[in-house]
Amino acid sequence: MTKIVVVDNHGQFTHLERRALRDLGVETELIDNDTPPEDIDADGVVLSGGPDMDRTGKSADYLTADVPVLGICLGMQLIADELGGRVDSGDYGGYADVTVELTDEDDPLTGSLHPETRVWASHADEVVELPDGFERTATSDVCGIEAISDTDRDLYGVQWHPEVAHTAEGDVIFENFRDICEAN
Amino acid sequence: MVDTETFVPEATAEIEDEIGDANAVIALSGGVDSSVAAALAYESIGDQLTPVYVDTGLMRKGETDQIRETFDYMDSLRIVDAKDRFLEALEGVVDPEKKREIIGEQFIREFEREAKDADADYLVQGTIYPDRIESEGGIKSHHNVGGLPDVVDFDGIVEPVRDLYKDEVREVARHLDLDELVAERMPFPGPGLAVRVIGEVTEEKLEVARDACHVVEEELEEYEPWQALAAVIGKATGVKGDNRVHGWVVSVRSVESRDGMTARAQEIDWETLQRIQSRITGQNENVARVVYDVTHKPPATIEYE
Repeated sequence: MTKIVVVDNHGQFTHLERRALRDLGVETELIDNDTPPEDIDADGVVLSGGPDMDRTGKSADYLTADVPVLGICLGMQLIADELGGRVDSGDYGGYADVTVELTDEDDPLTGSLHPETRVWASHADEVVELPDGFERTATSDVCGIEAISDTDRDLYGVQWHPEVAHTAEGDVIFENFRDICEAN
Repeated sequence: MVDTETFVPEATAEIEDEIGDANAVIALSGGVDSSVAAALAYESIGDQLTPVYVDTGLMRKGETDQIRETFDYMDSLRIVDAKDRFLEALEGVVDPEKKREIIGEQFIREFEREAKDADADYLVQGTIYPDRIESEGGIKSHHNVGGLPDVVDFDGIVEPVRDLYKDEVREVARHLDLDELVAERMPFPGPGLAVRVIGEVTEEKLEVARDACHVVEEELEEYEPWQALAAVIGKATGVKGDNRVHGWVVSVRSVESRDGMTARAQEIDWETLQRIQSRITGQNENVARVVYDVTHKPPATIEYE
């Protein structure tokens, strides 16, 4: 059975990421973010959201662990920050209802939601510069870079919260990520 | 989603396995989590379980009577009237965190006495999966898991719904034929109406909050909110019958949600809002105005404190 673990960066929705994966029928587990990647045997990793980049533990080590990674909210910002992009406070915080425009129809993570989807967000900071090798795959009125993908390294990020009930098609993101993990 | 057909027999067997012939207690809050945990445990070990309900004086209108009725079939049920002790402990306290702390401590004192009196070796709790994560992650101290085991030396703690989410607990409640009011009841915070009055908890503010919450729940029933409430948030000027009043401001809130983690403020029609306003200001001479809260979660929380 496909196994996708959730690395817990102390986000209030982390447990819902586990639930979304469980409901999808994949094997899943919440992992303390101090756990080194070599202790984990999984087909994919979700880096959860959280309040503070200083409390992300060993999350960054998972980016070179050779399994697909999906960063959510702070998890996406960590990917950008770690691999040479830039994170800064946005002009306008993204809270609750946001309409996201999917800009890359062929993106394996978000493309099937093209052209747009309604999501629930909760963030003050945002990615303002892409790291090398990444494409921006989604945008919105309140946040320029809503999703990022590096299909060569299988590293993905979404700024919104696909795991919460108010995100309209959140399950699709997890299904697509499962397919990416299974194809890897 | 939980399969209730297999979950219920497995859960009751596990409780019996763990507790055996010993005695156990559970704190009933009136909420669905502890109600389901109590029902499962009672089915499993009968009167070896002592369910304890503490009336803190911070309950909603008619809540205590409803508990008494719903759990009437449990002969061992104890209802403790602790209103005066809670209000005394809260006198003069305005800080929201301090209020929660005092209520938690007083609750533990009440429960400790009953647990010792019932000669309980085991504690049954209605902890659900998100409670465990929230406590472990340090986001907030949760009423269910905080404190109790530190003051009473139990042989073990049994948490029959520990892997379930709120909507799944409701599924189990329906399966157990628990009074629909309990299964479908709106979530109500552990500290009760104390977090629906901003600042010091006084009998006057509690009475306004209690009556306003009742009006809101009644009037908004057809909107099927996940949670609907009223909170006393401050004072403002009004004019009633040619007299200037400096009265309470009541904020009405109604949200839809799956699990309380995110919530959408509901769109309520003007006529209904006006009826709510009219009933609350009409029945409570010390209320000067009523407002409706349009904020989603995030950025706001569902409750006010």
